[in-house]
Amino acid sequence: MAKQQIMSKYRFKLYITGSSRRSRHAVDNVEWICKSLTDPHEYELQVIDVLQDPRQAEADNIIATPTLLKTEPQPAQRIIGDMADREGVKARLVYNEA
Amino acid sequence: MTEKKKQQAPDRTGVEKFLSGIPGLDRVMEGGLPRCRTVLVSGETGCGKTILLHEFLYRGLHDHGEPGVFVTFEEHPDEMLANVANFKWDYEQYYRDGKLLFADFSPSHDREIETAGSYELDPVVARILSAVQKIGAKRVAIDNIGMLFSRFEDIGEIRRILFLLSDRLKEAGISTLFTAEIEEGSSQLSRHGFMEFVADGVIVLRTHVGQNQMSRSLQVRKMRGIDYRTGTVEYDISDKGMRIFPKIPVDLSVASTDFHVRRSFGVPALDEALGGGIPQGHMLLVTGNTGTGKTTLGMQFLQQGIGDGENVVWVAMEEPVPQVLKTAAAHGWDFETLVRQGRLSFVTCSLLDLSPDRLLYQIVDTVEAVGANRVVFDSVSSLESSIMSKERVREFLIQLTVYLKTRGTNCIMNYLSAESFQASSGNLLSSMATNEMRLSSIVDGIIMLRYVEREQTVMKLLNILKLRGSVHAKDIFRYEIDTGGIRLGERFNF
Repeated sequence: MAKQQIMSKYRFKLYITGSSRRSRHAVDNVEWICKSLTDPHEYELQVIDVLQDPRQAEADNIIATPTLLKTEPQPAQRIIGDMADREGVKARLVYNEA
Repeated sequence: MTEKKKQQAPDRTGVEKFLSGIPGLDRVMEGGLPRCRTVLVSGETGCGKTILLHEFLYRGLHDHGEPGVFVTFEEHPDEMLANVANFKWDYEQYYRDGKLLFADFSPSHDREIETAGSYELDPVVARILSAVQKIGAKRVAIDNIGMLFSRFEDIGEIRRILFLLSDRLKEAGISTLFTAEIEEGSSQLSRHGFMEFVADGVIVLRTHVGQNQMSRSLQVRKMRGIDYRTGTVEYDISDKGMRIFPKIPVDLSVASTDFHVRRSFGVPALDEALGGGIPQGHMLLVTGNTGTGKTTLGMQFLQQGIGDGENVVWVAMEEPVPQVLKTAAAHGWDFETLVRQGRLSFVTCSLLDLSPDRLLYQIVDTVEAVGANRVVFDSVSSLESSIMSKERVREFLIQLTVYLKTRGTNCIMNYLSAESFQASSGNLLSSMATNEMRLSSIVDGIIMLRYVEREQTVMKLLNILKLRGSVHAKDIFRYEIDTGGIRLGERFNF
């Protein structure tokens, strides 16, 4: 294993509103994306319900849900929607990582 | 003019009103804005709708200690605070003290919105309600929520959220003001004509760019469940904030003249001819050609008040202030010093972009501020030669006279009458131009100053044409203007 390159973890926050079908789908899709993006152990996914924690939503300037925030690695990314097109979203995330 | 703050009685439909605190608005709304309702303030760029929102929250904080939330969809909170920093409000302090909260939905945070599938906008509602609960807010201001239509494509979802937000805010007992931009050339009051549909009330602000300045108008378009004054009123924005000018109600029953109190001109023969001076509260029209001494007579009237220890007001529209000061000095009256001492106040305005209501309130404010009992209005004819229509001039004068009468303040109104020399007695006594005839019903007294050519000399003649409710001399007097002012001479006979 190469020692000069330290891969930073993927850090994600997924904002959803309540437990609607859209919210559940978004969680499923994002979990799939996370797992297929990297080694299963190298990502952090925080799921935040805007109704439970509106202050966090305020802090991250969330307007719509579902919103996926990628905070690590840079650059930060923000994608809105149920992310039904898993492959497409994954590609966007991988592409930007370069 | 003081307003008694009465208990806000519900209107016939049971909608309570509350005092917004925005100067003039509550009077236009006949008691205030509807409680727990949403009101849309719509207008083109630059009309001041965002300022109205800030002032709405500011007055809630300042007058009633009510915390408020400002929701912004366009400008960043820092930008907004900078924009209102020039007003004489301690607005930012409330923000620092945590009584004013911003819910920041400005686009500064997203570079581009990347969408991937369907979404809902519920965080908008959740965050606003959370902010409201956090500080116990009673008032919410929402600026340009229509921006959502620019940032998101799902129009149906945006509409759903607007309804939801409106309902939730009302349920929470919040009174909300929100703005929408009128697009140039559009007849709709907001994007897609939607916001005016959701709102319980609609206020429209318009600006009209004149030659020198902007004139601004406010109109209440709808207000579900409550009465309000229809029609368009003017408003202004100064460093104190917004000021709306409701029409002064014309209630002649409250305005009356006290015939026991007389105000002297300081011209003994004239005072005698008037039965002791002008009765308090009387409006006097002084009509005459150029050079007949109307201005001088007005100055004498004010100077007499000064001598009695009063403060006086001169509304300068005909002759510019420097000219008035010079003329006064020539007669030996030091008006310049009086101005410095605050004894004499001038009210001026541009004739090119005359805003009658603003002028009216300028006069009202000045008279109230110095407690004036004597006002000279120079002149009514300059109003007629301005952009005002004859009806508007009449309306203005009626409002002004009603206000002054209620205070018991006297007003000398000058009228430049361009009639030619009259030779015969018949002409002298009956020659009043139609213009002055129209005004005669508004004023309580008329003094005429005229030239007559007789034996190769031009003489100046004064007569009191009418003086309501009082005995007055019917004679015609010769008069002269010299250093001390106007001096009445002998009676004139034909």
